[in-house]
Amino acid sequence: MDKYIRNIYKGVYTVLVGMRVTIRQFFEPNVTHQYPYEHDFEKKQNVREIPKGYRGQLYNRIEDCIGCKKCELICPVDCITITGDKLPKGEQLWDSMNVVHLKDGREIIGLIEGEDKKLNLDEELNVTNITSRQGPQEVIDRLEQSGDESRTQTFSGEEVSRVVTRNPVVFYLDQFDIDMSICMYCGLCTEVCPTECLTMKDTLEGIEYSSFDRNDLIFEFDKQEMYEKDETDTAEAAD
Amino acid sequence: MESTQQTESKIIELKPFTDEMIVNMGPQHPSTHGVLRLELRLDGEIVREAIPHIGYLHRCFEKHSENLSYPQIIPFTDRMDYVAAMNQNWGFCLAVEKLMAADETKEFAVPERAEYLRVLICELNRIASHLLSFGTYGMDIGAFTPFLYAFRDRERLLLLFEKICGARLTYNYIRIGGVSEIIPLEPGSIAEQNYLDEIEGFLDYFEPKIDEFNDLLTANSIFSERTMRVAVMPAEMAISYGATGPNLRGSGIDWDLRRDEPYSIYDRFDFDVPVAKDIPELGAVVGDCWSRYKIRMDEMKESVKIVRQILAEGLPDGPVMADLKAVRPPKGEIYFRSEAPRGELGFYIVSDGTPKPVRVKGRSPCFSALSALQELSRGLMVADIIAIIGSIDIVMGEVDR
Repeated sequence: MDKYIRNIYKGVYTVLVGMRVTIRQFFEPNVTHQYPYEHDFEKKQNVREIPKGYRGQLYNRIEDCIGCKKCELICPVDCITITGDKLPKGEQLWDSMNVVHLKDGREIIGLIEGEDKKLNLDEELNVTNITSRQGPQEVIDRLEQSGDESRTQTFSGEEVSRVVTRNPVVFYLDQFDIDMSICMYCGLCTEVCPTECLTMKDTLEGIEYSSFDRNDLIFEFDKQEMYEKDETDTAEAAD
Repeated sequence: MESTQQTESKIIELKPFTDEMIVNMGPQHPSTHGVLRLELRLDGEIVREAIPHIGYLHRCFEKHSENLSYPQIIPFTDRMDYVAAMNQNWGFCLAVEKLMAADETKEFAVPERAEYLRVLICELNRIASHLLSFGTYGMDIGAFTPFLYAFRDRERLLLLFEKICGARLTYNYIRIGGVSEIIPLEPGSIAEQNYLDEIEGFLDYFEPKIDEFNDLLTANSIFSERTMRVAVMPAEMAISYGATGPNLRGSGIDWDLRRDEPYSIYDRFDFDVPVAKDIPELGAVVGDCWSRYKIRMDEMKESVKIVRQILAEGLPDGPVMADLKAVRPPKGEIYFRSEAPRGELGFYIVSDGTPKPVRVKGRSPCFSALSALQELSRGLMVADIIAIIGSIDIVMGEVDR
């Protein structure tokens, strides 16, 4: 009998101890929200901030892609398909370039004066700034003809976070497809990319891109448009 | 003749034979923690035998690894124990690093900063893993509130992981020779200070919460009645089945690889290893479901202690990645074990000197723990099966690989 009563007391008491924990929650702000109803992407209501560097959808800035196939090699699940061919010897789509990444987030594409392989970030960099991303060779030619000196910008070492040297493009890309339905978001391909053109979107559209058709998840990055603009390219590319 | 017939009928009356019923529990069952099918042979409410059928989540990790280079295997280890993926990454990297250290021609050491980051992140990951275990165990037993509380705090941890490696569940953060540099955390920068402050903020918030969880669930009389003195796993049985981690310590054996066989920099930190004891005033016995559960709650406190020591010391300067040209271990084989949240995680790797391994074998702690289920559950009630599965804390992704 004694044990029976003690058992009841224990049962009631321990539940009340637990209830004390839950009752405190009444006075604390909510941590949950009703997902589709209290959610507004445009007004950014209840939308969680996506941290910088989040591994979302793969995106290739195809203008900068040199077709080195490193990403295709490192991919553990083979979700990247690249086909293409080497250009005949001596031909190249453009020369080597420098991409100067500034600490405020800007990227300056251009040629560093007195360029050598080892760039010292502590010194000042004189960058011949080229704003256009398309056909840099063309732009360089135009710049040289116009003799526009004002496009040369000077950066001190404090502003620059890093400098990437782009290799000359000697590869003709026919196809660059990424099948996001089999991608495992490991991010290995973005690490090996020498031109840093293959990135993972850390924005909302990099996360919310669902589709009813699996084929819609194959993203094709097309370089044909660029080739068409290039006059040296043959008319075949224009179909 | 008549008399014999009568005696036969009497026997039938005295020992009424009921058919054994075979019930399939799972593979889609809310309390089997993944896709586990249990074939239960029931005599009424009593379980005569519970046979686990595994393999629903088999993804050929071991065979697949033979066709991949070492860095490519790391994302696959993420998918083994997806609740504590950092620790799985680490276990594999430690094995490969030890294999590479056998080659004397190439000097190679993991930088100090990387070691600290690894311990920091993996201990936080241990907390996240135990939080999930605590929450789902409560839900198995019939308490829904702990699950919500655990996931509220786990969410904050996942946000911390997201900030440092860019993913919430499959991190691929720890690499061979260091840690990932996808999101740079420069030494002495404001970003690093903010990140460490954020972790400290979490610990300050979380430490009192553990006591709150104990009030909420551990001490609860309904919960303890269902878990105490249920499915007692004696020490000899735990050893013979190869149970490790919290399951082994729940059986009263004082064994923790982090302390007894320290790898990485665990010998620099001061922490206790919780071991189950008989608690007569509560009614707990060494080796019962409650003890195994309690070990996890105590381990969270120890992990907090380790992380606090790292924060007090501060992260050392230097690179986070060793200077490695290519991952090409010498010819040979290695077995390396590390203490993952669920127990002893081992990797056996055979290398022939090429960038791809010849054989990779993962020793999964959950697999060993699950094999003890058949003996543990014999003669218990059906409802106790749920209590056992929750208490041995299995993740089917690791059992099946």
